[in-house]
Amino acid sequence: MNVIFPALAQLLLFLIISPLVTGVIRTMKARFQTRRGPRVWQPYLDLHKLLRKGMIIPDTASWLFSVTPYVVFLTAAMVSLMIPMVATEAPLSLFGGVLAVVYLLALGRFFLALGGLDTGSSFGGLGSSREMTISAIAEPAMMVAIFTVAIAANSTNLSEVAKSAVGQSWRFLAPSQMLAFGALFIVLIAETGRIPVDNPATHLELTMIHEAMILEYSGPYLALIEWGASLKQLVLITLLVNTFFPFGLSSDWHSPGIAIGLGFYLIKVLIICCLIVLVETTNAKMRLFRVPELLAVAFILGALALISTFLF
Amino acid sequence: MTVARFPEAAALQELFGEQVLSMRTGSDEHLYLVTGGPDIRGIVEHLRRDHGARIVTVFAEDRRSEDGAFFNYYVFEQFGNPQYLILCAPVHPENPEFPSLSAEIPAVNWQEREMQDWFGLKAVGHPNPRRVAMHDNWPDVHPLLKDFPLRTPLPRFEGERHIYRPAMGEGVLQVPVGPVHAGIIEPGHFSFAVAGEPILYLQLRMFYTHKGTEKLFENLPVHKAVFLAESISGDSSFSHGTAFCQAIERASDIDVPRSALLTRTIFLELERIYNHVADIGAIATDVGFVVANAHASRLREMLFTLNEHLSGSRLLRGVVCVGGVRRAWQSGQQNMLRNAVDAFESEFDDLVALIYSSDSTRDRLEHTGILRPEKAKDLGIVGVGGRASGIDLDVRRDHPYAAYDQFAFRVPVYQAGDVWHRMQVRIDEVKESVGILKSATEQNLYGTHCAVPRPIPPDRCAISSVEGWRGEIIHWVRTGPGNRLERCKVKDPSLNNWPALVEAVQGNIIADFPVINKSFNLSYSGTDR
Repeated sequence: MNVIFPALAQLLLFLIISPLVTGVIRTMKARFQTRRGPRVWQPYLDLHKLLRKGMIIPDTASWLFSVTPYVVFLTAAMVSLMIPMVATEAPLSLFGGVLAVVYLLALGRFFLALGGLDTGSSFGGLGSSREMTISAIAEPAMMVAIFTVAIAANSTNLSEVAKSAVGQSWRFLAPSQMLAFGALFIVLIAETGRIPVDNPATHLELTMIHEAMILEYSGPYLALIEWGASLKQLVLITLLVNTFFPFGLSSDWHSPGIAIGLGFYLIKVLIICCLIVLVETTNAKMRLFRVPELLAVAFILGALALISTFLF
Repeated sequence: MTVARFPEAAALQELFGEQVLSMRTGSDEHLYLVTGGPDIRGIVEHLRRDHGARIVTVFAEDRRSEDGAFFNYYVFEQFGNPQYLILCAPVHPENPEFPSLSAEIPAVNWQEREMQDWFGLKAVGHPNPRRVAMHDNWPDVHPLLKDFPLRTPLPRFEGERHIYRPAMGEGVLQVPVGPVHAGIIEPGHFSFAVAGEPILYLQLRMFYTHKGTEKLFENLPVHKAVFLAESISGDSSFSHGTAFCQAIERASDIDVPRSALLTRTIFLELERIYNHVADIGAIATDVGFVVANAHASRLREMLFTLNEHLSGSRLLRGVVCVGGVRRAWQSGQQNMLRNAVDAFESEFDDLVALIYSSDSTRDRLEHTGILRPEKAKDLGIVGVGGRASGIDLDVRRDHPYAAYDQFAFRVPVYQAGDVWHRMQVRIDEVKESVGILKSATEQNLYGTHCAVPRPIPPDRCAISSVEGWRGEIIHWVRTGPGNRLERCKVKDPSLNNWPALVEAVQGNIIADFPVINKSFNLSYSGTDR
């Protein structure tokens, strides 16, 4: 079977759709706030603008500062090839499937934190330390929730997980699946830096988490990081929709079902976006020290999900 | 309310002998007590302890050419007494020193240092006598001396820069923020010492935008000085303008027509509510509850539009003038105001309900940035921040001006002193202001809008106070010959209140600083002048 075509197609789709998802969320948020808001394709224009701009690199920055944007972008791009998107078969299947996904994302985050620390600015340091605090709890919660799904499918390979889910469309109603979905949704909120964990729209450096780490970046580096963040967001949303609601997944990239698969996929992503927007507009940001409590909830949900797979 | 009284001159003379020279009632109907020398510590202690007096402001004046001395003025008020008592203490130019009160009364800390910076008078015994108002770039000059010409070219300063207290200890970091900030705000430097997230202490440095306003007032024709007063703090331009005009009117016995007094009251309240609504929205934004801010901004815009229709200025600039206001009411405007206030009231109730319905917002604001009542009292906190911490002061009630004696309103006071209650004070005050506006629109607003202008007699002094939306605004003027000013002292409430921020953030986490800061929302420009 030709592997180049699905890989290229999925990568392109991810690269193209991810800024749009960011734009859609922003526009919907604005509408909820009775604002008109930016156009949905504004993130593309932002990326275009940033890519053409010059860069200011702090004198105190080392090579880490310059490597970070590439690592962030490439890990997110690579992960996007390892999860099923419109077809059950992911184009790339590496050592351990879902484990590789989690740890590639962790690698990107690790470098982002290093990049924040590298310049020696106090805001970057604050951001990195907060990000690490949060991910230290978000990561195990994500693992536990994903293991629940993997156990049900008897495989950590995400393509296998999706395939097994296709067979039993209503499996997501099982208690373990719903609990795991809850856990993963909280992780999604935390990992994408959204309210109530982080405020992506704030200008207040002292309250930032993700934005604080990238304060010193500008121009193409910033574009790579922003694009990487959008990719990561879409990856997590995709992971969520396709492991729990595999409706309309095409069996492979060559069948005509691919168009239907894409349509279903976009609708599912849109629904998750709506959920995110709803959470973001109806909540205030949590006090920083309460965030671990929220993530502990995610972890407990995940753990309960894992236990209940054996019970039911 | 019991009627409190300041002691008689004879009683004070018995206690303090020759130190008390004379007492008279000034043209502004306030008490002026002249002392024999700069050491007034005994009298201040007596007034504070035995007469419950609160020190309102401290300032100096250069009277060397007229009276052969500097004068220090100490303004006191008593709860329940509309009269101010102003202690005038001469400081001889050959020994330009006066005993500092800051150790006992931290509220005058910055104001005494301003006197040092601007007049070269030394505050003996001041716990922290470093420069405050004159920035590092200023050489060693004292610009409020009369023999210091306004346009003096100054050499570049090469001396030692301000040194911050270093943060020490394992894991303790210094986090400098500012003076240039994100967003459209003014400059101020915040130096945090943090241990991880919790703030150990905060050091402030203000006066980056010192404009020499008090110097600019000197020799300025009074009609131009009104505009200068309006620009002291942009969001309080009507309050500062009114405070200044009132001072001139009191100094020169101008009777302001009834209609103008009512109009001033209306605009003062409109200024209060547009700022309070903006602050409520901004506090919600800082905890990420943006929906509330969207509605608050909408309401603020409603008020701006109303302001423009009524006065021609969204920010109520150029409305007040000596003797009244610049414009008479036109037909239909009173109705427009009444309808707008009604529409605003129901929308504001919805906004408050929206905020109350958000548990996550309440969770963030309660117990955040607590300023304890004792601390607030020591620091002499005024206005919204004070009333949220048990300081029951409101100039509108305590020293009625404009038409406030005709309206009944409640002064909200809370003891908790956290961000939530500072917002609660604002919510309550907006509701009270709406009540005042509603009963004002019941009255006949038409009539003469301004007294007939006449020359202003020279060498008259007057103090005037206005409850701006931030708190107590004080203007003290001395008129000069030819309709000009000799001196104008301006005290914005922010000057008292910045140290409150230092107290309120201690022990909080650094991520909560923006919302604590916003809950005070102090003016940089008003502080720096």
